[in-house]
Amino acid sequence: MLSKSDSLPAPAPEKPQGNGTAARWQSYVDLRLVALLGVLGVLAVVGAVTKPDQFLDVDNVRLILVQSSAIGVVTIGMTLVIIGGGIDLSVGAIVALASVWATTQATQDYGLAGMLFCSVAVGVGCGLVNGVLIAFGNLVPFIATLAMLASARGFAEQMSDGGTQIVEVDAVLDLMAADSRILGVPPLVLIFLGVAALGWLVLNRTTFGRRTVAVGGNPEAARLAGIDIKRQRLLLYVVSGLCCGIAAFMLIALSGSGQNTNGNLYELDAIAAAIIGGTLLSGGRGTITGSVLGVLVFTTITNLFALNNVQSAVQDIAKGAIIVAAVLIQHQTSRKSSTQ
Amino acid sequence: MKGRTHMPESPFSRRNMLFGAAGVSAAAFLTSCTSNDDSDDDSDSQQQQANVSEDKPGKPVTIGFAGPEADHGWLNAINDNARSRAEKYEDVTLDITEGSNDTATQIGQVDSLINKKVDVLVILPADGKAMTQAGLKAMEAGIPVVNLDRIFANPQAYRCWIGGDNYGMGLNAGRFIGEQLKGKQNAKVVELAGLDNLELTQQRTKGFDDALKNYPNIEKVARQAAEFTVESGQRKMSDLLQAVPEFDAMWNHDDDQGVGVKRAIDQSGRDEFIMVGGAGSKAVMDSIKADDSVIKATVLYPPSMAASAIDLARALGQQKGVSGMAEFEIPASITLYSAVVSKDNINQYLPTGFN
Amino acid sequence: MAPTSDTPPTPATPLLTMTGITKSFPGVRALDGVDLDVVAGEVHCLLGQNGAGKSTLIKVLAGAHQPDEGTIVWQGQETALKSPVAAMRLGISTIYQELDLVRHVSVAENVFLGHERSSGGFIKAREAHTAAQDLLGRLGHPEISAATIVGDLSAAGQQVVSMARALSHDVKLIVMDEPSAALDPDEVDNLFRIVADLTAQGVAVVYISHRLEEIRRIGDRVTVLKDGRAVARGLPAQSTSTNEIVTLMTGRNVAHVFPERPEAPGAGKEPVLTLEGLARQGEFAPVDLQVAPGEIVGLAGLVGSGRSEILETVFGARKPTAGRVLVGGRPLRPGSVTAAVKAGIGLAPEERKAQALLMTESVSRNVSISSLPRFSTGGWLDRSGERSAARAAVRDLSLRPDNPDALVRTLSGGNQQKAVLARWLLRDCRVLLLDEPTRGVDVGARAELYALIRRLADEGVAVLLVSSELPEVLGLADRVLVLREGQVVHTAPARDLDEHRVLDLVMEGTP
Repeated sequence: MLSKSDSLPAPAPEKPQGNGTAARWQSYVDLRLVALLGVLGVLAVVGAVTKPDQFLDVDNVRLILVQSSAIGVVTIGMTLVIIGGGIDLSVGAIVALASVWATTQATQDYGLAGMLFCSVAVGVGCGLVNGVLIAFGNLVPFIATLAMLASARGFAEQMSDGGTQIVEVDAVLDLMAADSRILGVPPLVLIFLGVAALGWLVLNRTTFGRRTVAVGGNPEAARLAGIDIKRQRLLLYVVSGLCCGIAAFMLIALSGSGQNTNGNLYELDAIAAAIIGGTLLSGGRGTITGSVLGVLVFTTITNLFALNNVQSAVQDIAKGAIIVAAVLIQHQTSRKSSTQ
Repeated sequence: MKGRTHMPESPFSRRNMLFGAAGVSAAAFLTSCTSNDDSDDDSDSQQQQANVSEDKPGKPVTIGFAGPEADHGWLNAINDNARSRAEKYEDVTLDITEGSNDTATQIGQVDSLINKKVDVLVILPADGKAMTQAGLKAMEAGIPVVNLDRIFANPQAYRCWIGGDNYGMGLNAGRFIGEQLKGKQNAKVVELAGLDNLELTQQRTKGFDDALKNYPNIEKVARQAAEFTVESGQRKMSDLLQAVPEFDAMWNHDDDQGVGVKRAIDQSGRDEFIMVGGAGSKAVMDSIKADDSVIKATVLYPPSMAASAIDLARALGQQKGVSGMAEFEIPASITLYSAVVSKDNINQYLPTGFN
Repeated sequence: MAPTSDTPPTPATPLLTMTGITKSFPGVRALDGVDLDVVAGEVHCLLGQNGAGKSTLIKVLAGAHQPDEGTIVWQGQETALKSPVAAMRLGISTIYQELDLVRHVSVAENVFLGHERSSGGFIKAREAHTAAQDLLGRLGHPEISAATIVGDLSAAGQQVVSMARALSHDVKLIVMDEPSAALDPDEVDNLFRIVADLTAQGVAVVYISHRLEEIRRIGDRVTVLKDGRAVARGLPAQSTSTNEIVTLMTGRNVAHVFPERPEAPGAGKEPVLTLEGLARQGEFAPVDLQVAPGEIVGLAGLVGSGRSEILETVFGARKPTAGRVLVGGRPLRPGSVTAAVKAGIGLAPEERKAQALLMTESVSRNVSISSLPRFSTGGWLDRSGERSAARAAVRDLSLRPDNPDALVRTLSGGNQQKAVLARWLLRDCRVLLLDEPTRGVDVGARAELYALIRRLADEGVAVLLVSSELPEVLGLADRVLVLREGQVVHTAPARDLDEHRVLDLVMEGTP
């Protein structure tokens, strides 16, 4: 019967209590991240105990980071979309289409720059279509991006004839070569970190980020505060599309090819990573740091299982359990911190 | 063999078909007395076999062909094989439908072919079990059905089934690796499977394991499953390379995910092992011929089975048997042999590699 | 209408006696030894400013909070209200301010939510329907069908459903938390009739309201809470003076609630807001209006008379079907909030929490949200500039706590409203639209808000005010437009009007 939050005390407006509350709020956010770091720590300990030689290897850390990078970039875009009160189911399909388009023979003729441009342009274009449909066509994001998922994949399939388009541009292939690393960090990882840093800045230091939180947290209030929420929504899907375009190029460099199956189920992976990173699915709250940690948790789990030669079915079960566990731990810590 | 090649309708279903086994030689066997011997040095053997086949034009036959959407290299190759085979016969008219992955659509297409009263039907179902009724209906209408690869649930739904052999793929991949590592003590092998929840993946692994049992010096130290995609191949192979610091041989179920596998291997700089592929893509065959990488062989699941299906359909339409066999009738089912393509016989198979 | 007696009934055994109830939350002692006694058949009013502990007390009564100390005696027996279900079993029902109904299901399903009429797990829909219809009849609303979807009912209708739900239990005590807040005068009359019926049947009512005049009308006794203590208990509702009650609540004497009106505000100045034949089909007929800087214009009328609709149309939240809005002589793009805000219009909407505030964000962020370009270069925020501007605005409006980092949801209603005003203040707005600016704001804070609104006008803002509370419109505005069924029926300086006259105009033609 009681729908309101009972745990909150009736505020006493005469007493300056805001300081304490704000501090509590801060620590609440931090605690969520600490919980995730804890999960990562536990995974690292498990890895170090079960496969000490392979897991704690520099190459393996590099491997985990590289494998996190493309899905990580997609997750940054997804996080912003979700904080803004939306959802983008088409990310995987956009990645597929962009990676196919950027690896057609015609595009490859333009070299690395041409492929990068093509990939990003396709991503932004798809995001723009999503955004227009949602912001101005008043389609529900779930439906609009579901439609994009289907058509982008179909288009990618048609464009590639279902085949694998091998990349023959050396500059692209060399991105994964050992001597392309900067201080031992592969370019892909640098791109991921760069996009994450940019995402953090956009969310926390720009008007765009502030408006995103407002639109996701209370769209009506945002509208009546004079925010152009249609424009904001449109831009969010463009940002997501942009991230997909970048991720597609990263996948091209990683796999040395473009294929219409690229980015398979990225939408679910990205949503899951954002959620366990503390992003509220209903919008209005979330952190980039949390999402990055969420991606790392997922990749580390997969890595751990592969190193221990665990088979797929068991991997899937354990992954599901770990997602639930991570979210429960967060709940626990956040509840504790909010009642302290 | 029942259900061996059944594939559920899903984005992955066409992938099931990626895996080829020995169609080329089977086609030869069906249509001529020519030996199916791999060591046949005649690089134009396919051509020759085709010509040998009942040769002079006979009674005109209209063959209806219904397949899934040609959205993938292997399926494209299936269509190409069927088309070019039919063109070789003056007496064959091929009525080929727009491919569809939707069972309902495909049933409609088969119905319309029945209504057109084609002489013989070749059906490669999007989903074998789901298409059984369509096969039965054609058979009841007196139109013999050649069921290609994805098998119907009921043998009454086809006159003849022809398709690949997943268990045989694993068996031959295992044997090849076993022979290569003969005499090496404590040899380590790893396996990268395709989508693990498909029956055909399990069959391939079973065949592979059964073959390795004959070589007590070999131990399979790791197995991971990718998803038939380049991306997953790259990812899972990177993990495997990290997990097993040194091994002697590996089998990758699928040449398509193999593009990613090869990329991962290149990125790791490792080359202490040999690798065997699966299906028989052009890219892998080129690598085998060039012999400049760890890829030493691939086991076939060849799209040329579609050409053989046309041969069978033509023979059925003209009420002929298969020469080279004592029986008057065409066999009820033909399981193709999953030949191993290695440097020794690459020239013979190179033209069959698909993109 | 309600039993009015100057000598409240005091039977030997009170229905409920709460003694020394104490409840602490982290950092706050919400209740500090509160005593309350309620006898059967009385309307016991609970008064206090927001934050005085009323909500916590009724949650203790509803079993939603467990007190740290203190005893609860129910019908002569000491008891513990361990859960809402336990309280309900005893016969205590609570109707919350924010109606807790399920919008998408029928009235009957809502009434029996949680204690469905069922056998063997199957709901007896027909029986529930009949029983719910009986309850609605008993509440004087037989016209509401038990099969209606709750979301389709008006606020008043939904309140009746809430009451029916309370009565669907064998109820002895009903707690009503500001039940009249969302109601129009005639609906309030009906509410009071229901309350009178209930008390006549021996049911006790604990009634919470900010409106002193209501308490006069239906209350028997009054308990005043301040800072978690009961500063007065069982005062006679009819004979205690307003000044005494206000003094008890606020700790200070509120002589003049409304600020002094200037002689001729806006005289000789160019109007900043002009409505030219502005109309919306089916909502309100063409309105012509000019508001000068420094002027407060009030719109009086019932809910549905078009007053809020006019405000929202001026703001661009609704698109007019005719006419236009001009700010400083320049027409606005119709139906665009962004254009209105750009032109310098600000709106403090009726539903503050749902329509204005980002509840989980800080005061600072809520205040700056409409002025972000001011604190940014090329999209990058100058956060310290933002914070200090917000801090200045917070100080200026004496918003408490005066900490721009405090979360808005921890603020009282009055301070939340100040945050909304601060937002538009920061935006340098020229036109301020106020829709029910004091809803959910307690008496002490109201006077402060009134003074603030007058001050903003004095500083040159044109104010358009909508309120259900006539005294507020008449006391605060310079000029009043009276609306009836979408038509402006009268325009006059506020000093020439009184409540009686306006009510006549508003009700004219209705029985």
